[in-house]
Amino acid sequence: MKHSLQLIGSLTVICVISGALLAFVYGATSERIAAVAQIRTEAAAAQVLPPHDAVQDPIEVTHENHTYLFRPARTADGALAGFAIQLTTHAGYGGEIRMMLGIAPDGTTTGLAILPGHKETPGLGAKITETAFRKRFEDKSLASTNWQVRKDGGAIDEITAATISSRAVTDAIAAAARAFETHRATIMGME
Amino acid sequence: MFWKTFSKGIWKENPVLKLVLGMCPTLAVTTSLENALGMGLASTFVLLCSNAVISSIRNLIPEKVRIPCFIVVIATFVTIVDLVMAAFVPDLHDALGIFIPLIVVNCIILGRAEAFASRHRTMLSIVDGLGMGVGFTLALAALGACREIIGNGTLTIWAGLPRLVLPTESPATLLILAPGGFIMLGLLLAGMNHLSAWQARRTGKAIPLPATMDCRTCTLCKWGS
Repeated sequence: MKHSLQLIGSLTVICVISGALLAFVYGATSERIAAVAQIRTEAAAAQVLPPHDAVQDPIEVTHENHTYLFRPARTADGALAGFAIQLTTHAGYGGEIRMMLGIAPDGTTTGLAILPGHKETPGLGAKITETAFRKRFEDKSLASTNWQVRKDGGAIDEITAATISSRAVTDAIAAAARAFETHRATIMGME
Repeated sequence: MFWKTFSKGIWKENPVLKLVLGMCPTLAVTTSLENALGMGLASTFVLLCSNAVISSIRNLIPEKVRIPCFIVVIATFVTIVDLVMAAFVPDLHDALGIFIPLIVVNCIILGRAEAFASRHRTMLSIVDGLGMGVGFTLALAALGACREIIGNGTLTIWAGLPRLVLPTESPATLLILAPGGFIMLGLLLAGMNHLSAWQARRTGKAIPLPATMDCRTCTLCKWGS
């Protein structure tokens, strides 16, 4: 009995000390971790939007079980410069891919950014982050473009040997385009 | 004494190239030199801290619960590294992804705790952890550099520092992918064994045989012993 208590006691003491230490480190880093995520999202939005002076708080829209964040951007005189749409897909080869798509008020795409944290294969699927691929999504009409990869009969050239990753990105944008069309009134009305 | 403990981790008992331990992170994160260095340094820090703590409490831990105690100590330091990296080097943290939490089950770290830190003085255990960590980092860096140069045509030491870009249009992408990891590791292991044999022959000592994967000690097929 005394022996078991000794075993339980020593393991408990170690776990308590470890827990306290982790609580301290978590407290010291959590703010910065949240700030890093925030900075990255804002930087991606600024990168894909047309020239603007301020980005407003996001408008949340749910369509086909997906949640989209529309961030309206404005110029100094208050005119709408465009939207940055934050979207997520789980259809990537390595699971989740988070993206930021910029659109002008007339529904033309102005840029695409892939947010860090995706798990696509380096050298193949990870090429979705390269400019050459992202450029294929620029200057296209959100409503009238056939948002599918060439292999599925669409208008977007997929990356060779990375069809799954290319398709995940393209299909996510197609879904976002449908969401924008359906909820256009809400998104524009709330501005 | 200290120097011998330190240097054995780098060459004679190099965890990757001699003991062939920790293969999961070794093969998975060495797609570039930067990732390899990041993983090596993170593991070194964990190894150093866990060796120091385990060695200093080795007389307080009852024999029967020593493994759970070691794992709790190691997991604590790994979580600290994970949080600190997420806060201060987020890009590297993203690149290493799942392999940071998996340092907990890296057999090099538990192996050193069990084989060395639980039976030696604290100072000596710290030196051992440092040596093993440096050996692990060097091996990963060698593997990462080879794979990045051949497989991607670039060599990046750290984001922000100037990077080397080879004038090639189509690098051998295979080397970046999983099979390339095995191929490159095999070549490095062969080179390491060849070097040890050459060194032994020159100094007139007996040629050290690889611990496993040798026809004379393997019993997998009918030609084995």
